[in-house]
Formats: sequence, C-alpha cells, structure tokens
Amino acid sequence: MSRAADAIVAWLDERIDLSALKHFVAEKGVPVHAQEVWYYLGGLTLFLLAVQLFTGILLLLYYRPSAAEAYESVQFIVTQVQFGWLIRNIHSWSANLLIAAAVAHFFSVFFLKSYRKPRELTWISGVLLLFLMFGFGFSGYLLPWNELSFFATKVGTGIAGTVPLGGKFLLRLLRGGDDVTGATLSRFFGLHVAVFPALTTALVAVHLLLVQRQGMSVPLRVERALKPGGRVRQMPFFPNYILRDVLAWYVALAILAALAAFYPWELGTKADPFAAVPPGIRPEWYFLAMFHTLKLLPSHVFGVEGEHIGVIAFGIAALFVVAVPFLDRRSNAGRESPTFTVLAILGLVYLVTFTVIGHYAR
Amino acid sequence: MSSVTSVVERLAITALLLLLPGHVVAADAPATANRCATCHATLADSRLAKPATLFSQQDVHRESGFRCVDCHGGDAAATGKVRAHDSARGFKGVPAGQAQIATCARCHSDAKLMRRFSPRQRVDQAAEYVTSVHGKRLASGDTRVATCANCHGAHGIRLVKDAKSPVFPTNVAGTCATCHASATHMNGYTLDNGKPLPTTQLADYQRSVHAAALTKGHDLSAPTCNDCHGNHGAAPPGVGAVVNVCGTCHAVFAQKFDTSVHRQIFDKSCVECHGNHAIAKPSDDMLGTGANAICGTCHSGPDDKGAAAADGMRAAIERLKAGIEGSGSLVARVRNAGMETSAQEIALGTARSQLTLARTEMHASDAARLTPIVDDGLKIVAEVDRAGERAVSELRYRRRGLALSLGAILLVVVALGLKIRQVDRRT
Repeated sequence: MSRAADAIVAWLDERIDLSALKHFVAEKGVPVHAQEVWYYLGGLTLFLLAVQLFTGILLLLYYRPSAAEAYESVQFIVTQVQFGWLIRNIHSWSANLLIAAAVAHFFSVFFLKSYRKPRELTWISGVLLLFLMFGFGFSGYLLPWNELSFFATKVGTGIAGTVPLGGKFLLRLLRGGDDVTGATLSRFFGLHVAVFPALTTALVAVHLLLVQRQGMSVPLRVERALKPGGRVRQMPFFPNYILRDVLAWYVALAILAALAAFYPWELGTKADPFAAVPPGIRPEWYFLAMFHTLKLLPSHVFGVEGEHIGVIAFGIAALFVVAVPFLDRRSNAGRESPTFTVLAILGLVYLVTFTVIGHYAR
Repeated sequence: MSSVTSVVERLAITALLLLLPGHVVAADAPATANRCATCHATLADSRLAKPATLFSQQDVHRESGFRCVDCHGGDAAATGKVRAHDSARGFKGVPAGQAQIATCARCHSDAKLMRRFSPRQRVDQAAEYVTSVHGKRLASGDTRVATCANCHGAHGIRLVKDAKSPVFPTNVAGTCATCHASATHMNGYTLDNGKPLPTTQLADYQRSVHAAALTKGHDLSAPTCNDCHGNHGAAPPGVGAVVNVCGTCHAVFAQKFDTSVHRQIFDKSCVECHGNHAIAKPSDDMLGTGANAICGTCHSGPDDKGAAAADGMRAAIERLKAGIEGSGSLVARVRNAGMETSAQEIALGTARSQLTLARTEMHASDAARLTPIVDDGLKIVAEVDRAGERAVSELRYRRRGLALSLGAILLVVVALGLKIRQVDRRT
C-alpha cells in the first residue's frame, strides 16, 4: 500500500479502532477448487448493480416521469445531453447483463447446492433479489414511454390481471386504473427508483453480510472428497481474490462500453395509447419463456382458464425455488441429491428452449 | 266451402284494389296471396321462371313488401292464368323503354313514398335520366340504350352498397362494359366528330391508376365510370367541364390549372396531358421536353419559352428529389448506426411535403411560383444534411473514444493480471 494510504489508515485507526476490520481482511479466504470460477458471478452481478445505480442516478437528473414528457426527456438525454447517449445505453445494456449474470449466479448456486444448511437465508435473500431484478426490468422497460414498452406493459400487466383471486385488484394496483396511462408510468417510476432500490439495498446488505459471515460454500463433491478433519485450500480474499474480481469487472466494463457504442439501445417511437397494437409485441427476453408458455396454453383446461393455470404454475414454481433449501434434505445431510440436479437441468432447458422459441415465434 | 271462401276473398281484394290510387304500393296493402311466384316458379320456360325465383330469393323490393303486381300489374290473387294476366286488372307485362322508366319512377320519383324506405335516397333519377345520352336516345326512339333494369337488374335487385350489386363501385365498369365494350351493340353509335364510338373504355380503364386504386387498393372512393360521367344522367363531361370533373377529387390541381396559361388553350384540360380512361400514375418524367415528357409534344426548340419553363420546373423538382434522396440515405445510415434521428426524419417529411407542393404548383405552369417552394424544400434538406454530418462526426468521435477506453481497460486488465501473478507468488 502506498504511504499516503498507510497514513490515512493510521489516521482512521487512531480514531475508530480498525483492528477488527484489519483482522477480517487478513483472515478472509476463498476456497480454491475446480468450480471456484462460479464465485465470480456474484461479484459480477454486484458490479453491474452498482453500474445501474450510478447510471440510473445520472439519468434521473434529466428524466421526467409523465406521459407527456417521458419520451421527449429520454430523447433529450440521448441527443442533447453530453454523454447522455452513453449513460442511457450503458444503463439499458447493463440491465440486461445484470439479469443474465443474476440468472447465471442463481443456476450456479443451484447446481453446486450452495443453498444447503447453513446458507438457507443467503439463498432466500438471493432469490428475492433475483425477483427484484425482474421487477426492475419490468418497471424500467416502460419508462421511455415508447410504443413497444407501452404495449408490452399492457400485455404484461394484463397477465398479472389473470392471477386468480385478486387479479383484477393487482391489475388496477399496477396500472393505477383500468388501462396503462400516465398513472401507470408514475407508479412504475416510483417502484423503479424508490421502492425496488430500497428493498434491494436491504436485501443486498443481508446477502453480503451472510456471505461474509458464513464464507463461500464449498461444493458437496469437493467437501465429500476431503479427508476427515481436512480443509479446502484457501486463497486470501485481499488482495488475491479481490484483484481477480476487479479484473472480471473491467472485462464487463469493456463489454458494456463496446455494446453501448456499437449497438445503441433503440428509443423507438413515442407511445400512442390510441394506436393499434403493432405486430410482434413481446416482453424483454427474460420474460419470453413465461410469455410464450402462456401463449401456448389452451384457452381452457378441464374447465379452468389456461392463463390461470399458467400463472398458478409460475407462482408454485417461484415458491418452490424459494423453499429449495428446505426441500432438498439430501443436500442438507451432506449427500448428493440428483433429483434436484435433474430439476435444475429441466428448468434450465425449459427456460432456454422457450426463450429461443418465443424469440422466433411470430 | 273452400270455393265460396275463394270467391269472397277475390271479391274483397278486387274491391280493395279499386279503392287504391294507382301508385300506392303493396306495402300499403294488406297481406294477400302472391300467386304469381307459385305459378312462374314451376314454368319450364326459364325466361318466365327465373324472374320469380330471383325475386323470391333476394330482392330489395320484395324485402320492403313489394310484389310482382306492383310493377307488372295484374291480379296476384287470381288462381287462373287468364284472370291473373287480365289487362282489365292492370296487367302490363314486361315494362320496357319509356314504360320501364315510368314504372320505376312511380315510386323512385315520389319523395314522400321514398322517405318511408330510404329517407336519404335521391328522387331525381328519372329527371336525370332524361338529360343523359341514354335518355335522349330513348326519347328519339332508340330502344337499344340502357334503361333502369340494364344497370340495376330487374329481379333480384340489390342495394347499391351490396358488393354483389351490379352498380357497386367495383362492378360499375363491368356493368357499363356489358354494352360499351360490345362492338356489336355499339355498332352505329358515333362520337360528335362522326367517328365510331370506341369500345375500348373498359380495357383502358382497367390499365388506369383509378382502377388500380379501386380494385387493388380496395379504395371504394376511387373513381369508376359514373364518378366522371354521372350515373343516371350519364354523358361525356364535354369540353370545358373536364377540369371540374377531375377537380371534384383533385381540387388543388384543378385550382392551380385554373390559373394556368393552359386553361385557355387546352380544350380537354386535364385530358390533354393525362388522357381519360387509361390515366396512368403520373410521374415527373411527364414534365419537360425530354424523353416521355408530355410538354415536349407542343413545346420544343431553344427559343420556345414554354419548353424552357417546363425544363426549368423539371430541373427544380429533380434537384429537390435528389436532395431528399441523399439526405434520406444519410439519415438512414446514422440511424442504423444507432443515432437518434427522429427530428431529421420529421424535417425530411416536411421536405417531401414541399416536393408534393411543387408538383402541385407545376399545374399553374409558372416557374416563378414553383421556385420558392423548391427552395424552401432545399433549405430543409441542407439543414438535415448538416445534422446528418454532425451525427457522422459524433459517431466517429464515439468510436474513437471507445477504442481509447478499451485500450485503457486492456492496460488495466494486463496490469491486474501481472499483479495477481505477483500476489499469488507471494502467498
């Protein structure tokens, strides 16, 4: 560390005892094994979340959340504001990479069974964070108030309206009325910049605290291969692991910059509530699997509306995912649990297949 | 018993018919047996059977309560052929020629009666018909001309708005062509100049921009025969009236042409350049003295002011067209590269409107009036070009900036890699 940094640490140490922190930094280690590469996904997701926070705050300086001005304000940002195009493009691209990283993190943790005792709370907070990321994506998509986002939100909130018992209430709650209007935009804006960030901050704090407190999970297979009383080789978190993390962040930053410059996010045309629904309306890629499943369901199954069955199935799947640490008893007992591995594979295959089909479907 | 009832019934109906005024229709009369169809439908002669079948299947008059006797007269309640067709009971047979016009006009010229069935329908068809070429010829004894039933049909008549009606917009040309495309039928008819009346109108019309709009574009407001010639008062528009006919739809062109020097010179106004039945989609090639240009048919030579003016207007329009095309591709290029170009696209839309205005103004045949319109369009194009060039520079700047930042990131990544190796070795 440079002399200046040493001096600052010493100055702080004199005033607020840093010995506990120094001890933590000196002692913290990260397990070294064949699957350690998956550990970077958590850090990468956190980095992309930070990028979202930073660029989101900058966009807030110019964005105006009303049906009359939203589109024009985004147009102003990308055409008139210095580097506004870069900030908006990075925010849009980073949102998608963030969800991709979060989903990849979710599946890596699932396959490695890192949710097993004692990390149930880490898993639950992580899954809730993943749902929040979807919420960020859904609410943020409407904010530019363009044709595509307007009608996609109409379809999306319409699906929420099919939730049995209280669907109509949920639809009105989301839309702020019977239809997607400026009131919906205000609500989505409020959710996107206040409610979701507050919840995310709290959940990220809990998630990180738990990760630091419990350390990184070691895969079952590695753990089982250890001799009795043996310990997995560790790598110091500071600086060895954090340097690797930072390197991954820089690579992500380079990818983001290249995407922002070469594949700018289209603004499209301003939403016109009275216009006919344009062809090819569909949600963002991370909702495509669900959207396409609902499209394929027959209108009625055994007298029950197909959409109701789909929405109930997704609800059960979400509850199942949250409850996985409590359902997978074999993993908790330190044994292999092939059933849950097969379920994860099936889930992944379903998501990839339906996303691809949904993308190319007319 | 039944024969007694029949006699009483017939007596009662006869008494009632005698009380009715001549033009009171069956809709007013109590429901009585219509035996015409009962007999006619079973006849072996299709000329006699078909009308009864058609009338009973779908006919606007039958649906409104009218019966055979309302047009043909006779006794609908009679059981015997002789009594039913008794001229003493008003039987008229098949009304033809003037009798047909009078039969239809009995109701269709009666505003009070028509209001009950179709309050918005006009009641001047018969009066118009008298002024038509058809009506005049019929009055002079020519029985080959079209009367009501030739266009509308006699039995199985449908409303004009019914797509199966022979006078529905998409069917009108075919209906007129039944006679007008037949060389045999038109034999002996001549134009005002004595030449035989052509029979190519349908073929010409089918090649026209109007037919394409009507049949391919499904635009029912696109003109067909009756929109220019009139329907019941059908006649050629006549010299001097063409501009008014075309101006019904092309109002601004007609207005501009009215101020043109050609207004006094062109006998057939619009037709002189655009033709009549085979009106092609107009193009800028028609303007000037070059190949395919219409102006060149009258104007030529270096001393011809008209030729110079036509060429000047064409050059101005071509300049604006080229400018819009160039700007359009520049805007498309920067848009494809991800730049926001909606303001430029709106401006280009305005420039295109200027081009349309210039093409319209050209009909005034005055280059001095066209120039400022083209200049305004060119100013917009120049502004779009400047914005496009700025966007191209901005793109280059962004890509240079990206290359620099990627280079810087790469340096940091390499430095981090070296540092990782160093700390790994140390631990």
